[in-house]
Amino acid sequence: MSAGSLGLRAPLLQIEGLSVRYGGITALRELSFTVGQGELVALLGANGAGKTTTLRAISRLVDAAAGRILWQGAELARLSTERTVRLGIGHCPEGRRVLARQSVATNLELGAWLRRDRSVIATDLERCYQLFPRLAERRQQLAGSLSGGEQQMLAIARALMGRPTLLLLDEPSLGLAPRLVAELMDTLAGLHREGLAMLLVEQNAAAALAIADRAVVLESGNLRLQGPAAELRHDPELQALYLGGAS
Amino acid sequence: MDTLLQILINGISTGAVYGLFALGYTLVFSVLGVINFAHGAVFTLGAYLTYLLVGGAVGSNGLLAGLQLPFALPFWAALPVAGLLTALVSLLVEATAFRPLRRHGAEPLLYLITSLGAGVILVNLLQILLGAEGYAMPTTALGSLPITLSLAGAQLRTVQLVLLVVAAVVLAVLSLWLEGSRGGKALQAVSEDATTARLLGIDSDAMIRLGFAVSGFLAGIAGGLVGLSLSITGPYFGISYGLKALGVLVLGGLGSVPGAVLAGLIVGGAEALVPGEWSGYKDAIAYAFLFAVLLLRPQGLLGRPQISKV
Repeated sequence: MSAGSLGLRAPLLQIEGLSVRYGGITALRELSFTVGQGELVALLGANGAGKTTTLRAISRLVDAAAGRILWQGAELARLSTERTVRLGIGHCPEGRRVLARQSVATNLELGAWLRRDRSVIATDLERCYQLFPRLAERRQQLAGSLSGGEQQMLAIARALMGRPTLLLLDEPSLGLAPRLVAELMDTLAGLHREGLAMLLVEQNAAAALAIADRAVVLESGNLRLQGPAAELRHDPELQALYLGGAS
Repeated sequence: MDTLLQILINGISTGAVYGLFALGYTLVFSVLGVINFAHGAVFTLGAYLTYLLVGGAVGSNGLLAGLQLPFALPFWAALPVAGLLTALVSLLVEATAFRPLRRHGAEPLLYLITSLGAGVILVNLLQILLGAEGYAMPTTALGSLPITLSLAGAQLRTVQLVLLVVAAVVLAVLSLWLEGSRGGKALQAVSEDATTARLLGIDSDAMIRLGFAVSGFLAGIAGGLVGLSLSITGPYFGISYGLKALGVLVLGGLGSVPGAVLAGLIVGGAEALVPGEWSGYKDAIAYAFLFAVLLLRPQGLLGRPQISKV
């Protein structure tokens, strides 16, 4: 019997037994977890644990060797990356990847590439500039001339311009000064309060757990543990592994 | 004895056409990172199509011997039509020589062979159909325009001015399109970072096709213009021009649009400055110049030093 006939809504994103291999190397092994509507899930783990691979599999940048990725109950496996964006999966990639030779404004404009609702796009653009006032000051500047923190803001704002239902964020805090990390996490928490679902990949586990609803912890391509963020914040095992013993 | 103004106009007009031709390579290179070696053949095709559209007749050697279209378009109409047809052929080249390899993630070197193969097939088809003889555009192609115009005391070939005006208009429209339009910006996004472009929902395959279509259009236009200004010396005449445009592309900096135009003007100008009695060495002089510049500036005039993407 399907979940639908029981009156239950399928989760926004459901990953079941996902395995990904690069050549002979297994990057992910039988991973399962879900992201609910409007939920902020932190995806944690050390370097090489398979976090980025998970996001790349969801966006169809890599093929799954086994398992299923369901978006609101429907299989994503055969779709193109462009199609996943159209379905509402925004992806803010690792290393920011802003278009360095284009202006800030053009980067944002291209974020709304699939949309045709011009007037709403203009409103969203203004909202992005409100959210990240430094981008507004630099809107005509080439994205390559921005500082690392500003580029990160641009990458997030660009993903928001696509009006995603679920935003995949790959290490947004990487390389940012602690003050900027706090600012960024505030912004993400604000977006979450407005109902945006997020899958947040972070090495900064403490910062991610502080704003997440739930967390999934990977280790060498395997699921290590998952649970409510509030519990994992005090999990001794996780503390030892990723939080360096800090409270 | 040519005046300096004549030399200048000749150089700039030839150079602008080199620029157009080189830009076709640039567009494909920037979205795909490979050189399309069928580009010279598409240029040749553009010249023949323009010749036929302005009412030229096929000679006696090919399968289509004696063919003449029942209508004759004026040059200004024939050129864009030829450009649209070569754009379609360029799409066909993409679908046969590029797309199947891309699906398999092939080595860039393989594209060199398949595109060269597509070019050779095209050139041979032209030879089979239209014969190996040379063609000169009918003198009626430019309608009532006189053969020469006098400007500031100098006698100029009208054809050179036509080249200059057409090339300038096409280049201007192309830059406006690349910088200002939705499609142009998306094409540039794919050229800068194809993966990120896909994450924004941009269909990179569609942009690659767009790059090929525009590239084919430019090659066709350049072919028609060169055919008008000189003549079509046979199905292989695109090869030497294709090599020179490749040189222009490298001189300008791979992937740089203003670089291709600037380099085209420089090479055209350098050739025009070669005195008449040495004209047999024009190509040698142009290539020696290219060689010298690249020794000093391997990334080309306006190219960016290679940055490895993380």
